[in-house]
Amino acid sequence: MLAEKEENSIKRSVVDRNLKQLIANNESIYAVVLSSIDGHAIANQAQDHFEDSKLAAMTSSCLALGEKIALEANQKGCDFVIIQNQDGFLALKRVGRKLVLTTLADKSINMGMLLSATRTAADALYKEIT
Amino acid sequence: MSELKFVITGTAGVGKTTAICALSDVPPVGTDADTTDELSIIKSTTTVAFDFGEVVLDDGARVRIYGTPGQERFRHMWEIIAEGALGLIILVDNSRPDPLDDLMIYMDNFKQLIEDTGVVIGVTRCNGSDRVSIDDYYSFLERRDMFCPVLEADPRSREDMVVLMDALMAMLEYA
Repeated sequence: MLAEKEENSIKRSVVDRNLKQLIANNESIYAVVLSSIDGHAIANQAQDHFEDSKLAAMTSSCLALGEKIALEANQKGCDFVIIQNQDGFLALKRVGRKLVLTTLADKSINMGMLLSATRTAADALYKEIT
Repeated sequence: MSELKFVITGTAGVGKTTAICALSDVPPVGTDADTTDELSIIKSTTTVAFDFGEVVLDDGARVRIYGTPGQERFRHMWEIIAEGALGLIILVDNSRPDPLDDLMIYMDNFKQLIEDTGVVIGVTRCNGSDRVSIDDYYSFLERRDMFCPVLEADPRSREDMVVLMDALMAMLEYA
């Protein structure tokens, strides 16, 4: 039990470190959320207070839809689901089987930078915690 | 050719996805994700956006059937799916601790759709138990000035699900 607690605490610190790094290295990224594939918020980092529970459920639905639409279009391996808006972007990326990483950025970001930063964080999380 | 849209809702694990698979004349579309919470004790995946199936009636009309996610955190999908629907089927798992309370969650959340169209209730996992009987459901609804058909149903049975759908269509026709 103690070992499990310690392991969870280490995972938590790895998650927090990676999410903090993502925000710190990219001025235009103002929030990032790690959630479970079935819609539970696990952790977030944000420049301001940020409510993540509803967004976690919505990103779960949205990622599932994106992956399903890709299959319907005979395309495989859905990599990102991107939501582009007048004042910003959201990038959703699956992390392994059970997790989703969502990055929120303002409109000043370069899309390639957003995707690259999100991928780097997702890959690091995948290697370190799954 | 006319098209109808019905919605199936109810608690997680009640059998909504199974019901759509049983009913659909086309390969159903699902959006399952691995469960990571206490639900994983009873099922390994859960619907996170919607299930979709289609039934072709004898007159050629198509009924599009959408199943909602069961958990309240997916309420955003309930609102999206209810848009433009012509009727609602609520499945209630009678083996859960308080099935009448479960029922009210969906009656309340789909209130507008129910008022505008119609609803039928399918009670699953009765297993001969009379802990909460069909009469109890009617009494419960009556106390709230509501009336709608309440039928025992096995979501795995196409026949049972067709009976629910027929009841819903009759409700709409004679409303």
